[in-house]
Amino acid sequence: MSMTLSYDRLSEEEKHRRFLDRIEKGEKIEADDWMPDDYRQTLIKLISMHGISEIMGALPEKEWVPKAPSLRRKLGIMAKVQDEMGHGQLLLRVAEDLMKPYGKTREEIMQDLFRGDLKFHNVFHMPAPTWGDAGLIGWLVDGAAIITQTNMLKASYGPYARALKRICAEEVFHAQHGEAIILALAEGTDAQRAMIQDAIDRWWESLLMFFGPATSTTTGTSKQDITIKYKIRTKTNEQLRQDFLDKYIPRVLSLGLTIPDETLRYDKTEEKWVYKQPDWSEFKNIVRNNGPKSKDRLNLRINAYENNAWVREALSPDEAVV
Amino acid sequence: MTNEGRNFYQEFEVFSSKTDGGQVQHQFSLLAPNEEIALVMAQENFMRREPAADIWVVKRSHVRKMTQEEKESLQRLDNKEYRTTKGYGYLRKKWREYEQNILDEKEIMSWGEDKQK
Amino acid sequence: MKSPQEVNADPAYKQALTELLYQLADDDFVLAFRGSEWLGLAPHIEEDVAFSSINQDTMGHAAMYYQLLEDLGEGKADDLAHGRKAFERKNAILLEEVNGPGHYLKEPYYDWAFAVVRHYFYAQAKKVKIDSLKNSSYEPLAQAAVKINMELYYHLLHWKTWFTQLASAKGEAPERMKKAVVKVCQDFAGVLTLGPKADEIAGFHLIEDENQLKQRWVNEMEKVFSPSGLQLPEVEMVRGDGRNGIHTTDLDTALETLSEVYRQDPAASW
Repeated sequence: MSMTLSYDRLSEEEKHRRFLDRIEKGEKIEADDWMPDDYRQTLIKLISMHGISEIMGALPEKEWVPKAPSLRRKLGIMAKVQDEMGHGQLLLRVAEDLMKPYGKTREEIMQDLFRGDLKFHNVFHMPAPTWGDAGLIGWLVDGAAIITQTNMLKASYGPYARALKRICAEEVFHAQHGEAIILALAEGTDAQRAMIQDAIDRWWESLLMFFGPATSTTTGTSKQDITIKYKIRTKTNEQLRQDFLDKYIPRVLSLGLTIPDETLRYDKTEEKWVYKQPDWSEFKNIVRNNGPKSKDRLNLRINAYENNAWVREALSPDEAVV
Repeated sequence: MTNEGRNFYQEFEVFSSKTDGGQVQHQFSLLAPNEEIALVMAQENFMRREPAADIWVVKRSHVRKMTQEEKESLQRLDNKEYRTTKGYGYLRKKWREYEQNILDEKEIMSWGEDKQK
Repeated sequence: MKSPQEVNADPAYKQALTELLYQLADDDFVLAFRGSEWLGLAPHIEEDVAFSSINQDTMGHAAMYYQLLEDLGEGKADDLAHGRKAFERKNAILLEEVNGPGHYLKEPYYDWAFAVVRHYFYAQAKKVKIDSLKNSSYEPLAQAAVKINMELYYHLLHWKTWFTQLASAKGEAPERMKKAVVKVCQDFAGVLTLGPKADEIAGFHLIEDENQLKQRWVNEMEKVFSPSGLQLPEVEMVRGDGRNGIHTTDLDTALETLSEVYRQDPAASW
């Protein structure tokens, strides 16, 4: 087939200009389209971290899957954690296609995770010692995730936007699953109420950290500028954190629960929440796999992957079947 | 093992239709070592909450996609009204002069239906 | 028998019916629990998702059987699932067995070959029973069987695919599968039996005779085993009959885990 290879003949600068034009016009970039290296690299970093965080995010809740206190809750949390694995699947597929030009596959993603080169979200390094934590994760951690993910639904990269559309549709179920657990506890016995308050006290700082530092000066690095420039997302870390506080603080307080920050207040003139900054040096420490549960969860993942290697070897065709 | 299990990760595209005889739509892609495993993964990975009446899995390498250049060949000028009923709208007025109705899409597509009294 | 009211007027029938329902409910419940421990640990992410759906289906089936028991006045479904002691449980011993060495949160050396064989054999046995239950003399159970049957096609297709592929794969897989088949067969008679009240259960036409069911299961398995040159060993009940309330410590630890939160306050709403 003879084609006019007009696009191929363009100079790199011209391709780059056209690429920015397409993004500006709101066109979606697809996996096989030309894209600048820093766009690809940013996406790989963002989406592989997002994907692997879903996979690692299944682990704190995993503890509560067999332990859930009723048949209904057992079914609900199984479906919820299944979705986390499913979201990991969708996102890793998107990341894997982006990595293809570098000859990298899911195997390398896993090895990067195991070596500590691929980070996962700060919240998934934390312990979840009670059923209250299982509820809180569904309610507030997923709530925070919904805020960041809906912000990228119109991402310039088509495959990511499509994966997020599927994911956000399921997050609505996750939010309600979390709320159902929390409301049952909030309307329950004193011991049950204490269980949620403990969980909030335990998770508050991690929830603030979830959105990342406000500026790169806080921790030394931040990808937010480049993701905004390339229209992967629109809001800054701080805007997302404020959105979260807007949506969830009134709900927490409405249940008669408290937030472990005496300085927390809404500044009406500035129209934003003023809150005590979390310990950002601890944040850096946690995402470097030095959080309270980092090693345990990584070991669990490594253990499962290696223990089952024989299955993948057994069914791996000798030649990649074309 | 020869490839330490790396070839386990073959790419498959998943398609499905919602209803019997409905159009088949692309859903997403998954990794599996062969098409049988791909097929038993497909519904639960992508259609857990929606009906599926049929599922196809296709090895990705068997899908010939267009390159970015080739996609340029899909562009058309907007001057092809002669191909569509839009270019023949004046017939409605003409037939009216002969006290006849135009045989438009609605009319013609209705001819296949069994007449009911 | 159309309703719980009719059943309650016939103590002998009721005893046989509740016995069978406990077996069906406890089998599905404990196997779904074991399956749920695998969540996040399967050999492949896509399979993790698929496997979880099967566990959800199976737990959903258990919930339907517990509901039938609740309707007969046996207590609340959640209490039946979470509150009964090990000796009151009627599940087959094979189904309570741990997935492998280790714990679901720490160093789980779970055995995928055992998972595939146990689930495949069980799915086939369940299919045989469900086909018979569609004609059960207790109508609510027959109706439940019609519904449950719909989801079994997928369970069977899924596990049969894994079983046949791994059994005929290269490397160490066939040997691992053979070992798992031997292990599962040692206790699989415990899944196929209807327990000490088998005669009454069949006599009231709640389900067909256990020997018939067993033969049908063997016939179905032979269709897969014979062409592949694999040997299907004689099924036995080496560790005893769970239908009799005989269980292993694996069930004790399972119950401890699955009722940990429930036991904090069984009267509370969760």
